[in-house]
Amino acid sequence: MIKVLLFGAAADRAGTRETELPVEAGLTLAELWPLIAERHPDLAPMRDTLAFAVNGEYARGDAGVSPGDEVAVLPPVSGG
Amino acid sequence: MFAIVEESLEVGALIQGALSPDCGAIATFVGTTRIDESEGAAVEYLEYEAYRPMADRKLEEIGAEIERLWDVRHVSILHRLGKVDPGEASVAIVVAAPRRGPAFEASRYAIERIKEVVPIWKREVWSDGYVWVGSQVGTRGLASGKP
Repeated sequence: MIKVLLFGAAADRAGTRETELPVEAGLTLAELWPLIAERHPDLAPMRDTLAFAVNGEYARGDAGVSPGDEVAVLPPVSGG
Repeated sequence: MFAIVEESLEVGALIQGALSPDCGAIATFVGTTRIDESEGAAVEYLEYEAYRPMADRKLEEIGAEIERLWDVRHVSILHRLGKVDPGEASVAIVVAAPRRGPAFEASRYAIERIKEVVPIWKREVWSDGYVWVGSQVGTRGLASGKP
């Protein structure tokens, strides 16, 4: 399992803040995205605006993700 | 001190805590909730959420960056979560330094970096719907749920 956390506009569009994907082997973030978008199709149009974190640190598409990891879907930040 | 908190920011106490005999300047930046108006509607309040503990860690990293870049002796950054009413502080930055130049520059740097890298999100709640700032996702007419 990979735990996926959603925030802000992404949580809003997906209608949930947390989901689990039944992933049994390692893959890259870029390979994980279609699984997230399949589960939550309303997220797909946001793809180009999103950043990702793996286990609490920003990660790029070629970053590895393994079962047990926590992936966060991060819309453009807007603190301040 | 670096913290993400749910209660009101005590800016005066933050400044008091930065006073030090080796510093000749304290620069303070306070971001507050502004009532914007458009199309006959107005912002009623803001609501913030964060990815913790990543957001806490990013605030500390900004503090470490500032200490590498400028001669400062004290940096505090506080950011609020949850509902923030109009005119209230949502973020407070206090930098104490021996001289004013680094204090001004470092406090500016801190707020710009917060807006770039700290995973905190702001939702504007208007009288006619809401908008996630930066994503343009929401229920107001203009946003209509499209990113």
